[in-house]
Amino acid sequence: MNSFASRFIASSAENEIRQAKAMAEEEGLTDAMWGSDAGFGSLVTGHAFNVPAVPDPSAFLRLHTDDHADPNCKIKIQHGTTTLAFRYKGGVIVAVDSRATAGSYIASGTVKKVIEINPYLLGTMAGGAADCQYWETYLGIQCRLHELRNKERISVSAASKYLSNLVYSYKGMGLSMGTMICGWDKTGPAVFYVDSDGTRLKGDLFSVGSGSTFAYGVLDQGYSWDMSDEEAQELGRRSIYAAGHRDAFSGNTINLYHVQEDGWKFIGNYDVTKMHYEGPGPDVPGAPVGGYGYDVRTHGRFSVLPTAVPA
Amino acid sequence: MATADGGAYSYSLTVFSPSGKLVQIEHALAAVAQGTTSLGIKASNGIVIATEKKSSSILIDDSMIEKVAVICPNIGIVYSGMGPDFRILVAKARKSAQAYWKIYGEYPPTRVLTQEIATVMQQATQSGGVRPYGVSLLVAGYDVHRGPSLYQVDPSGSFWAWKASAIGKNMINAKTFLEKRYNDDISLEDAIHTALLTLKEGFEGQMTEKTIEIGVITVPTTDELEVGKIGGETGRPKPTFRKLTEEEVRDYLAL
Amino acid sequence: MSQIWKYVRVTPSGGRVRGVPARSSTTSISLPGTPDHLSSQSTLILRFVMSIMEHNGGSVVAMAGKNCVAIACDLRLGAGAQTIATNFEKIFPVTDRMYLGLAGLASDVVTLREKFRYLTNMFLIKESRPLEPSTFAHLVSSTLYERRFGPYFCEPVLAGLERTPSGSYKPYIVGTDLIGCLNFAKDFIVTGTASDKLFGVAEGLWEPDLEPEDLFETISQTLMNAVDRDAYSGWGAVVHVITPDKVITRTLKGRMD
Repeated sequence: MNSFASRFIASSAENEIRQAKAMAEEEGLTDAMWGSDAGFGSLVTGHAFNVPAVPDPSAFLRLHTDDHADPNCKIKIQHGTTTLAFRYKGGVIVAVDSRATAGSYIASGTVKKVIEINPYLLGTMAGGAADCQYWETYLGIQCRLHELRNKERISVSAASKYLSNLVYSYKGMGLSMGTMICGWDKTGPAVFYVDSDGTRLKGDLFSVGSGSTFAYGVLDQGYSWDMSDEEAQELGRRSIYAAGHRDAFSGNTINLYHVQEDGWKFIGNYDVTKMHYEGPGPDVPGAPVGGYGYDVRTHGRFSVLPTAVPA
Repeated sequence: MATADGGAYSYSLTVFSPSGKLVQIEHALAAVAQGTTSLGIKASNGIVIATEKKSSSILIDDSMIEKVAVICPNIGIVYSGMGPDFRILVAKARKSAQAYWKIYGEYPPTRVLTQEIATVMQQATQSGGVRPYGVSLLVAGYDVHRGPSLYQVDPSGSFWAWKASAIGKNMINAKTFLEKRYNDDISLEDAIHTALLTLKEGFEGQMTEKTIEIGVITVPTTDELEVGKIGGETGRPKPTFRKLTEEEVRDYLAL
Repeated sequence: MSQIWKYVRVTPSGGRVRGVPARSSTTSISLPGTPDHLSSQSTLILRFVMSIMEHNGGSVVAMAGKNCVAIACDLRLGAGAQTIATNFEKIFPVTDRMYLGLAGLASDVVTLREKFRYLTNMFLIKESRPLEPSTFAHLVSSTLYERRFGPYFCEPVLAGLERTPSGSYKPYIVGTDLIGCLNFAKDFIVTGTASDKLFGVAEGLWEPDLEPEDLFETISQTLMNAVDRDAYSGWGAVVHVITPDKVITRTLKGRMD
């Protein structure tokens, strides 16, 4: 267990924890050093989380933490998000909104829903904010450990599989995540969809969240593998705008990222309402002059529609 | 074959005679014309309605007879004709006023209530198995929009607004008398005296506070209105119609 | 918002809510408060009634000023989270100096608007006199209470100028719940999915005796900032400021998300 060799056994999530625990024992790490019982520190001691003191914690949690509105609901993509990521010849575009809602209340308009796992990996956030934040940060730690151990970066495939295996081990206990792990590795640009049910899908194009249907609408009609970088970025931006406009639980601002061979780059933060009235600016290929707005796009196209709303 | 004036048409009130008359309505008017005289006068600052109260026996406690009726705080009516019919109409009118209050949170304007009563009376001329009401009414009321107004309603359901009018036994003479006495800027006090004088013409027996009934509309001042209308969500507005007490009637008669 | 569960009607053999077909006659529904009040049936119906007021979204606010009143609404029409239209006005003129705002289920907004138009016209024709806000408020109240056991899912707000006996005008604002309980206020009235947020902002911004232009600014800021915190309201706004001699109507551009 404590042997030198055991540290290099190809590992499952449990193994990793066991190893970390062993390391902690060796080096005298304590919970206090990490500040919190629920922090990564306590993880390595093997007492990661307190669970309800009932005979079957998982059944108990399923009863009380599954989507209350519909106990039969198997898909746990929560209200209040639009995220998307797609692969094309120039890399991966990742675009998300920034709204957080609690019921009908807009709790925040400045949420960071792209989690920068490391300079080469991005994760998106839909569902439980804390779940996504915690486990994707944890994923970052594991990716770094992989890098140190193997002297090369982890593949997007491996990283996403690590995450999906991890959340699967908590299945039924109320974790709620719908995420896309995006990056560039030896195989080129890569996007994997991972959710808290344990689903893991490889694909070119995904959108997750309550506004995903609206985003898909724009995305599907505008997508092609051979887009230019500007066109791809505009497609991502335009898709999140559409969701922000139509979906009550998405909006406020758009965060746009571009992953290329040398890692990810933050392109910008765009106000959805500004996009509606003014658009992304004059030099964007494919973007309409004068904003994405519905009245702007339909003005004069239908005789029954009144003219644009006066200022 | 029915007899006398109406012939066969006098039985069914819903059938016109060849000359275009509903004979039962004319009979109802005849019943009104046999009733005691009532009159109403609109003054510059109010309205008076008055009637004589005649009892067939000295043994009747005439303090219990009520011929001038309060419908709601701003409307009162008086009648000539058949007392029991009047009672029914008073009950209906009071209900109607309360129903209006329930919907709008205020009492009906005089014209609306008059129309309501007139509709009830008209329906009795067009329905099967009923007879027309044997009364004519004088409706006196006040509302913010139209001020004081005086209406007469007949058994046919027709109604008119008057400056002054009389109904019942002596109506022809009384109206002639009123025409002579009336002018547009008569005060309420003068109108009450004119009313008494008019009733005195053709009054059989002694005119006392027991044999006369008077109701008056007093126009509220703007200040009273401000308080009544705007502040009156919880409190009751000050009534604009009231019946004079026997003491008040006696005082007027003494003058 | 009012406690909607009150309107779940309970009968000995079974119960139903307006718009929900009665289930089998052996079904029984327990009242909230009883031990099994969260049992599936009542919970389902409860959730249905709760969400119906939010299904289409939208909010209305009215404020009183000095010799003027203002009333404003957002422009969203939604179906749940989905925004269907951004030109759905919820405020309708009743008379020259009185506007009625209706927030709630859109189909009932339209139905009630027509119903009140009918009732107003009938009143004006029958009585040939002006319809004052205090009179109309009671008409709204009694019309809604008529449907006490199967209410319209609307909470109206009325804003107008009441003519006083001395001939001047007095600000008059009033709101009701969906079964017609009148709520008179001297400051402001809020309703709709953003009502809680509107309360907060209005409480902070409103002050007595605002002139028409200042009242416009206050109500606009109140509405815009409140709906920006409500997922179901927004997408533009309309504001009416009613003064004794004119009504100023302005359409506002708002956040479109």
